[in-house]
Amino acid sequence: MPPADLTAELEELHAAAFGWAMSCCGWDRTAAEDVLQATYLKVLDGRARFDGRSSFRTFVFGVIARTAREARRRAGLRRWLPLASLLLAVDGRPDPATALVRADETARLVRALGRLSERQRQVLHLVFYEDLTIAEAAAVAGVSVGTARTHYERGKAALRTLLGEERE
Amino acid sequence: MIERDDHHVKRAFEALRREDAAGTPPFAATIAAARARRTARPRRRALELAAAVIVLVAVVVISIRRERAGVRLEIDLATVRWQAPTDFLLNLPGDELLRSVPHLGPRGLDRRTL
Repeated sequence: MPPADLTAELEELHAAAFGWAMSCCGWDRTAAEDVLQATYLKVLDGRARFDGRSSFRTFVFGVIARTAREARRRAGLRRWLPLASLLLAVDGRPDPATALVRADETARLVRALGRLSERQRQVLHLVFYEDLTIAEAAAVAGVSVGTARTHYERGKAALRTLLGEERE
Repeated sequence: MIERDDHHVKRAFEALRREDAAGTPPFAATIAAARARRTARPRRRALELAAAVIVLVAVVVISIRRERAGVRLEIDLATVRWQAPTDFLLNLPGDELLRSVPHLGPRGLDRRTL
């Protein structure tokens, strides 16, 4: 795909990609922007190559998920460095500014999602937020369709319980 | 895929999407920041590599110097042995006989006499 087409496709997906990056980074806005920039760079430089086996959207979401995982791994290593607290790192928690401006309902949802396993959170986000099918969500998360369906069902049941608890 | 009783979960996710969409950074700014990273990254990589090489060289030099100087960490337990004031109670008359092996002389016992 020519670079101009890639840029146009990325622009079309930008809002959805940012939402997905936010989810992968535990709603830490700074970390999500960082991951999104790194992802765009990988796609535009050809380090992540779209081979047409899935939709472009699924491909970009997969790259975002991988990039966020790499960022978390790096952040984990950096914690061992001296003065690590001075470095910006993805720690999987919402940043205070983002948490402050959230409405009650969405703040409850973010808190409840934070208590699910990473896979359950990913699959639910991809299905409910990004309107992907379970098969597409499985491709993005890098798991089989059966596994994704299990995460979807269990995650949904857990989320309903957690949202019920939050409301009480 | 989404069942009827999932609607309130779906509504909550839609609200989350609307909030995130309102705070989405402009695409042009994200691309510009990504391109700026492209130019900054090789310099950062070079700095990280240089730091790693410096640390490695320092470790090698220090270990070679220590080896040449013959610095060895030895612990002399005799110097740190603690003596209790009541240790004299353990001294028995003739206890030097218990700490040594009796010497039977150069010939030892004659088998023929046994």
